[in-house]
Amino acid sequence: MFVSDFRKEFYELVHNQRVLLFVASDVDALCACKILQALFQCDHVQYTLVPVSGWQELETAFLEHKEQFCYFILINCGANVDLLDILQPDEDSVFFVCDTHRPVNVVNVYNDTQIKLLIKQDDDLEVPAYDDIFRDEAEDEDLSGSDSEGSEPSEKRTRLEEEIVARTTKRRQRREWEARRRDILFDYEQYEYYGTSSAMVMFDLAWMMSKDLNDMLWWAIVGLTDQWVHDKITQMKYVTDVGILQRHVTRHNHRNEAEENMLSVDCTRISFEYDLRLALYQHWSLHESLYNTSYTAARFKLWSVHGQKRLQEFLADMGLPLKQVKQKFQSMDVSLKENLREMIEESANKFGMKDMRVQTFSIHFGFKHKFLASDVVFATMSLMESPEKDASGTDHFIQALDSLSRSNLDKLYLGLELAKKHLQATQQTIASCLCTNLVTSQGPFLYCSLMEGTPDVTLFSKPASLSLLSRHLLKSFVYSTKNRRCKLLPLVMAAPLSIEQGTVTVVGIPPETDGSDRKNFFGRAFEKAAESTNSRTLHNHFDLSVIELKAEDRSKFLDALVSLLS
Amino acid sequence: MDAAEVEFLAKKELVTIIPNFSLDKIYLIGGDLGPFNLAYPWKCPFGWPINLKQRQKCCLLPPEWMDVEKMEQIQDQERKEETFTPVPSPHYMEITKLLLNHASDNISKADTIRTLIKDLWDTRMAKLRVSADNFVWQQEAHAKLDNLTNRHMDQCNQIKNPEINPQTYEHLIFDKEAKLAQATTFLI
Repeated sequence: MFVSDFRKEFYELVHNQRVLLFVASDVDALCACKILQALFQCDHVQYTLVPVSGWQELETAFLEHKEQFCYFILINCGANVDLLDILQPDEDSVFFVCDTHRPVNVVNVYNDTQIKLLIKQDDDLEVPAYDDIFRDEAEDEDLSGSDSEGSEPSEKRTRLEEEIVARTTKRRQRREWEARRRDILFDYEQYEYYGTSSAMVMFDLAWMMSKDLNDMLWWAIVGLTDQWVHDKITQMKYVTDVGILQRHVTRHNHRNEAEENMLSVDCTRISFEYDLRLALYQHWSLHESLYNTSYTAARFKLWSVHGQKRLQEFLADMGLPLKQVKQKFQSMDVSLKENLREMIEESANKFGMKDMRVQTFSIHFGFKHKFLASDVVFATMSLMESPEKDASGTDHFIQALDSLSRSNLDKLYLGLELAKKHLQATQQTIASCLCTNLVTSQGPFLYCSLMEGTPDVTLFSKPASLSLLSRHLLKSFVYSTKNRRCKLLPLVMAAPLSIEQGTVTVVGIPPETDGSDRKNFFGRAFEKAAESTNSRTLHNHFDLSVIELKAEDRSKFLDALVSLLS
Repeated sequence: MDAAEVEFLAKKELVTIIPNFSLDKIYLIGGDLGPFNLAYPWKCPFGWPINLKQRQKCCLLPPEWMDVEKMEQIQDQERKEETFTPVPSPHYMEITKLLLNHASDNISKADTIRTLIKDLWDTRMAKLRVSADNFVWQQEAHAKLDNLTNRHMDQCNQIKNPEINPQTYEHLIFDKEAKLAQATTFLI
């Protein structure tokens, strides 16, 4: 059931108990976790934190810990499947689920006792009505009606006939109801999409309790920006949420304007910026940033020589000397940096890039440290998905979680360096895929498969990195192809996961259109294709559109998918 | 006494807070505390506000003397005089440090105040060293220094003068209660 008053029905229940926190492995979940941890620390709540990256880890961790806890909080996992079925908990366990995955499973919505959803109901949820899906089983007993002890044969016959007629009508009604139910559920669960960021939900809870701080606001901003970077929400929703956060930012940070009441330099200051959408440009050189941001790389077609010449033209149009542009941004001439944003926007408009600037936020503390929200998202994501084999997944998670605190700036800078390598690897892989025509049309969708020997392929075995690569590849492909029909197709991407086990990670991305609502049907499609061909798949990730597949089953899986979708 | 004890003693000082919760009076061994009234400024012994601020349950107000103009005046006066001038509060160093570390967002112009307090401290320490130096050279037996704080005395107890003849063990012991500095020379 949906929790209406987060404070009374969630926080008051939880704050004098020991709770177990399951946190999924994405940046939004990390930010929500940080906010919740800060609230717990203020109130001395005892909690245990378990990072989980998939359903199997969730189940094993649950089995380990279920004896010790009654209250479980799940962040960014668990809303889109039947939790009680998967976890088989005891009767007195209560689960609080704060998840962005939609659609929310109907069992989770209509269970009143054990599952409480920390989800705002004004998100367009469109949950089907209760009566359409659940039917009292007691009604069916009437079907097996008692054989009447008729006295007279004629009466018996008419009564039997009546009973038969009644039974058949009931059976027919039941079949119709079931068919309708299947249709409703199919429509409801067909498309996967994402709702409001969990970090924003947690920040709302903190605000309701008047415990919100600037730091928590920053984490909420980073959570929202993570959704935007990964194209999980529509542009309109992003702008609406930015508006909501901007009100909070003004409320916390209005003192910066007045001269008499100046804050200490060490205090965090968040400000709203209408800044360039070039990734990491303030911590890199402008040239590298233009090269490695998917927006500019796709539109300039930087994988071709012609595209690189256009980039040079672009820089020349703005009057920026190449030498300045190639050195670190912080060492660029101040005269060039002053009007940089406006200059770039003007020139970008001439070259057909209308959305060069986006609404975002930046944080500022000390004399030196200034970060945009997207910088922090890239850094944290790279820390969490770095391909070092010696550290376990939990270590990466903890490192990424630490990098979000203000006191661990060295980790954040390390994350920024990793993010730069990551972005470069992504663009190089895209360039090689496009130049060697690895993206083929299979009919109802495009397909691309990364070979084992590709450089940096270990980087792309993790789901978030692979999804990001696929989205950027699709965007670049749309600009590179002349075939009008291909531009509207979705993309299925495969990358090798483990050579010993012979598995590949497969990811499905919805088509790239301007007004797209980011709804992804690949989750259900993959399930059905796997069933029909008996392929050995593992639907382990919380995003149903990412699966693991045995390499030998790849071709029959794809054939099944083609026939399913055409 | 060492720095931790000095800080502990400073926590008896009263500081104004604006709590964001309400609570009745609490009866503790050291005295009563409360009642806390929502959004009503109230003076509270210093140990509590820091803890409450860390748990985001209150807003701290800077004491009256923690103001840029007043501090500048005190600083000027200190520089002009040769002896020690009265300090704004007997625990000014400790209070400033704790407030600026934990609640700098509640204090306006926190950086300027930090610089001014540091200047004041440096001036006073310099005076202390000069007077200790004079005292040793003139071989006096008693010296009286007014207006020293706990922290100063504690700092001085740690000064070991290398110029003194190592055959004579001299300890400069500053007695707190009498607020006098009595130097006792042990000749061994």
